[in-house]
Amino acid sequence: MGRSMSSEHLAALHRPAKPLPPRHRTYAWAWAVGVVVLLLAITWHLGINFTTLAAGLGDIAEYIHRYSTPNFTDWSRYLALMGVTLATALWGTVIAVGFAFFLAPLAARNFSPHASVYRGARETLNFMRAMPDLVLALMFVAAIGLGPFPGALALGVHSAGFLGKFLAECMERVDKDTCEGVASTGASFVQRLAFVAWPSILREGFGYLLFILDRNVRMASMLGMVGAGGIGLELYNSLRMFNYDQSAAMILVILAALLLIDHSSSWLRRRLE
Amino acid sequence: MLLPSAKWRWPSPSGLPSQRIVGGLLALGAVLWLTAPLVELNLPRLVSSSGRLLRFAGQLAEMPEWGYLPQLLKKLIETVEMTVLGTSIATLVSLPLGILAASNISPHPWVCRLTRDLLSLMRAMPELVWALVFVSAVGLGPLAGTMALAWVTVGFLGKIFAEAIEVVSPKALEGVRAHGAGRIQTLQFAVLPQALPDLVGTVAYILDHNLRSATILGLVGAGGIGYDLIMSMRMFQYGRLIMIMAAIYLMVTALDRASDRLRGQVIYGQVYEQ
Repeated sequence: MGRSMSSEHLAALHRPAKPLPPRHRTYAWAWAVGVVVLLLAITWHLGINFTTLAAGLGDIAEYIHRYSTPNFTDWSRYLALMGVTLATALWGTVIAVGFAFFLAPLAARNFSPHASVYRGARETLNFMRAMPDLVLALMFVAAIGLGPFPGALALGVHSAGFLGKFLAECMERVDKDTCEGVASTGASFVQRLAFVAWPSILREGFGYLLFILDRNVRMASMLGMVGAGGIGLELYNSLRMFNYDQSAAMILVILAALLLIDHSSSWLRRRLE
Repeated sequence: MLLPSAKWRWPSPSGLPSQRIVGGLLALGAVLWLTAPLVELNLPRLVSSSGRLLRFAGQLAEMPEWGYLPQLLKKLIETVEMTVLGTSIATLVSLPLGILAASNISPHPWVCRLTRDLLSLMRAMPELVWALVFVSAVGLGPLAGTMALAWVTVGFLGKIFAEAIEVVSPKALEGVRAHGAGRIQTLQFAVLPQALPDLVGTVAYILDHNLRSATILGLVGAGGIGYDLIMSMRMFQYGRLIMIMAAIYLMVTALDRASDRLRGQVIYGQVYEQ
């Protein structure tokens, strides 16, 4: 018996090895070719000529060089305007939180009181974030008048669409057992929110809040272009008057503020974790 | 008995909100109070202007100007093309930059630091400002818009790629390196497979973001639907405006849904049902 086993082993050794399983076929190359062809077609269709770009490089360098002598004589006014811009972003974020606070629980499927409420809340959030905030600002400026307040309102409405969606998605990821546990004690809708939904997403939600604030500061510096106050209006005007020195100073002020916000928000985020 | 305290305890042992929360809220309230005059917050004005806002919305409810449809479609296609091209270029450029900026696989700490600062400079200013710069350099048209989109997107994607790579488990890196893998092979077999789901999800999100941005780049003449949007608003052509806004809404919503689905599929391994 031992002999037969060993001969069997020998036979197994001499048998040609079992072929490897077929290589997993991927169509990555086909996808890559398809994407490249698509991109080339788009380039051709848009009439983009990369030689224009190459020729433009010199122009870009020359253009940027014009900003090399920032003029800070008006620095106190720039700082004040930057303050207005930051306040606009802050108020926009607070408005967004106000909207999202009410809409997010309704738009989370596991907390929403009814399927139609869920659908309605989701569509509302979707509608809020579908319109670009510059367009909203244009409309609010037309209706309310010039100034930072319509800008804050536009930022608030637009970013509420994002914040509400993010928070609702966080709530949908909340552990099912926790929800059931609290619901089984007969907790009402509001109690389930107060004891399950908000406490479980507090940390994650704060991260999203910082993200929204960050984004709003960037956008607020733009809103001036459509008459919604802040440093953007001043920058746009001086850009149009070809006042490169003053524009450069303002751009530097904006950059400094944005970097400051960036660093403090990542510091806050690290502290949260 | 309006708010029975036993029922409305704060979810903490003492039943009261913690001092940090109360302090934070008070500080926020104070800041808001102080900054209210800066934003010219004026509730009476808001209330009195709601009539005007409604009238403005009423004007929008005008018959669409169907003759504008071919031009609208042309501009929409241009917007989408700018988005796709800008995002693709940015994805290609930001992969190597992201690798350089990831602290665990960057060739040198200084390279990492420098790349990070460069990326943060690129994303510091919104697309619209860069569009202004590029319009001045390469002239009006979609090229300037595409470049502005790609530029800012590199700043964002590079940072997100770097962060996705930094959370790659060091064990996999070590395992692959222990087999004598070189730098490129480590990337190919340890870093990319782990980071890829995150990256795909991020690109889907960025594509969505860029489409939104592309719709407004036209405001400064950098191509896309934005120019028509602002012109029809300034010229009171509400028949066009309503069409443009509806088109933007539909386009953005469609991509929003698609990117949600894709991200759900890639990140959670299943279709995240709407």
